[in-house]
Amino acid sequence: MSNDTTTRIGRRRFLTTLGAAGAATLGAPAFVRAQSREVKVGYILPVTGPLAFEAQLALNGLQQAVDEINGTGGIKSLGGARITLLAGDTQNKVELGNSEAARLIDQGVVAIIGPFSSLVAFSVRQVTEKNKTPFLLLATVADNVLEGGLRYTFRMQPNGRAMATLTVGNMLEMAKASGTPIKRVAMMHEDGNFGTTMGNHVEAFAGKMGYELVQRVPYNLRSPDFTAELSKVKATRPDLLVISGYYGDSKIIAETAAKLHIGVHALVGLANAAYSNPRFIAENRELTDQLFDGNYWHNPQSPRARAVFEAYQKRFNSVMSNHGVQGYQVVFVLKDALERAASPDREKVRDAISKTNLTDHILTQDAIRFDDAGENVNASPALLQVQGGKPLVVGPARFVEAKPVFPVPKWKG
Amino acid sequence: MTWLFSQAVVSGLLLGGVYGLVASGLSLIFGVLRIINFAHGAVMMLAMYATYWLFVLAGVDPYLSVVVTAPLFFVLGVVIQKIVIEPNRAAAEHNQLLLTLGLALFFENLALVLWQGDFRTVKVAYSGASFMLGDALVEVTRLVASGGAVLMAVGLFAFLRLTDVGKALRALAEEPEGAALVGINVSRIRAASFGLGSACVAVAGALITPFFYVAPDVAESFNIMAFVVVVLGGMGNFVGALAGGFIVGLAESLGAAFLPGSLKQLVVFVIFVLVLLFRPQGIFGGSRER
Repeated sequence: MSNDTTTRIGRRRFLTTLGAAGAATLGAPAFVRAQSREVKVGYILPVTGPLAFEAQLALNGLQQAVDEINGTGGIKSLGGARITLLAGDTQNKVELGNSEAARLIDQGVVAIIGPFSSLVAFSVRQVTEKNKTPFLLLATVADNVLEGGLRYTFRMQPNGRAMATLTVGNMLEMAKASGTPIKRVAMMHEDGNFGTTMGNHVEAFAGKMGYELVQRVPYNLRSPDFTAELSKVKATRPDLLVISGYYGDSKIIAETAAKLHIGVHALVGLANAAYSNPRFIAENRELTDQLFDGNYWHNPQSPRARAVFEAYQKRFNSVMSNHGVQGYQVVFVLKDALERAASPDREKVRDAISKTNLTDHILTQDAIRFDDAGENVNASPALLQVQGGKPLVVGPARFVEAKPVFPVPKWKG
Repeated sequence: MTWLFSQAVVSGLLLGGVYGLVASGLSLIFGVLRIINFAHGAVMMLAMYATYWLFVLAGVDPYLSVVVTAPLFFVLGVVIQKIVIEPNRAAAEHNQLLLTLGLALFFENLALVLWQGDFRTVKVAYSGASFMLGDALVEVTRLVASGGAVLMAVGLFAFLRLTDVGKALRALAEEPEGAALVGINVSRIRAASFGLGSACVAVAGALITPFFYVAPDVAESFNIMAFVVVVLGGMGNFVGALAGGFIVGLAESLGAAFLPGSLKQLVVFVIFVLVLLFRPQGIFGGSRER
């Protein structure tokens, strides 16, 4: 007991001295500063349950960013405060999302990052708004998550609309540049919220962007066979087949399309869960070669992004995928805000996030800035093509690291 | 457009065979035990993992692995019947239903704990094999699964007609008390039928694995359709189940080819409701005197 007291006094005196070095006679503020040498950040992710694999990729990104910040002097405006990550597991369930968010807020986090599923986000945002806690969305694409005049919720990544229109736009531009323009587009999407949102955008923008949507096939995610659907697509002779789906369905669709000699110039995933997923590519080398995917990615033209990508590869022994990139970057958005807020106060952090203008980032976009609704105004996906077992950026033009193979010979009929 | 039609028919028949394959064990268990076994799909999922691990760890071909998995899952079925279901035979029917549902949840979550939510695939040399029948594509792995379904239906039929155990099974299905009176060990026969049903679904799992993927919730792709197929074919009638499988597969595939959107399953369920309304004993059921 007495031992304990001595150490505590010792530590306090030590910190006071440290503070005095910087702030002359102001003993009290130095003490306050000492108390906040840890900044708690909470995440809520489906780290167990059906999305565990994807959630782990995002968590790797979070962890890498936090370790990098802590290893290079912490949050400088908070006296070198270290970031401590507090875990919350949603299991992809709404009620767990709410209770875990509430628990983390009770534990004093400055912000919450998560939660993957749009459905969970819809519910958790009420908890974070009520408790005036910044909520940084991760891997949540539904367009309307930010509707309703939210004050504390921000989304760094492209929403569904940006994802769909920019991906198709990138494809059209790339095709034009390679001399084989795309006129006829077919779309297959799972018939849940995610796929339907994507399908609606691809349909709505057909006229405006100068392509014809010749076939739109919503499908049940659980269907064990897509031969008839793909035959229907083949019959309309599209130039491009766009696929928004999850892992298993996307795999079977690509396999069946190959066997049917679907006859398109290219297959492109739209925020597809499989087509740029490192594990899917590793397990299906031949099938995935020259597949396109519109997804969020790191900027291969940025030296910093390349270094981050390589560090990730070394540490986790796998390619830094879309979720890893977002997890990493979102922590740095928060770090930037904390530096400017110079306070762990949630309201001040919220104001700082809303004034973000971050150019030093690893994404394929201009500066990260948020509009009044909390959307990143410059959010934009990269266009990827799998080449030699690796997803490489082939669009937009200013970020490319490889020449696209287009039209893809193997999909020709 | 004729090729689209023939393609839809061919893929419908192949898909239907797969449904019939999954449904046959379910039909058997219902026929003898009068239990609606919601754990059937979960048992298939476990069998698919067994197939996957045998392939990955020991290099056993998925089709050959049935030599190991079928007996193994027969034993698992017997154990489930003896430990979980037999003690609750006297319980109300809905309690038995909840029991198998609970078992399914248990197996699925067990798989999640053991192997996470990852999708796993078995890559064999013949995975991508296919040929053209006229202008329709036939995938070899799906053809094998459908062929397996036909063989299994014929084999089960012969087993029930020609062997003593099979005759005892039928006796038990038709008249449990009479069967007990003539000296059939009914508890053993019940265990054997649950075991046999589980072995059937283990074979189904092994035949599906080469063209599908393995995941804890993989059975969701087949479960509901397997129940529809069993009801269409007449509960407990697995030749009927096979025919029911072909009907559902064709309806789904033709629906997908010629109807807009995701209406294909609507066709299946419209047929299902019509059958329930006008022939509740199933298209092929009802010949048995009760």
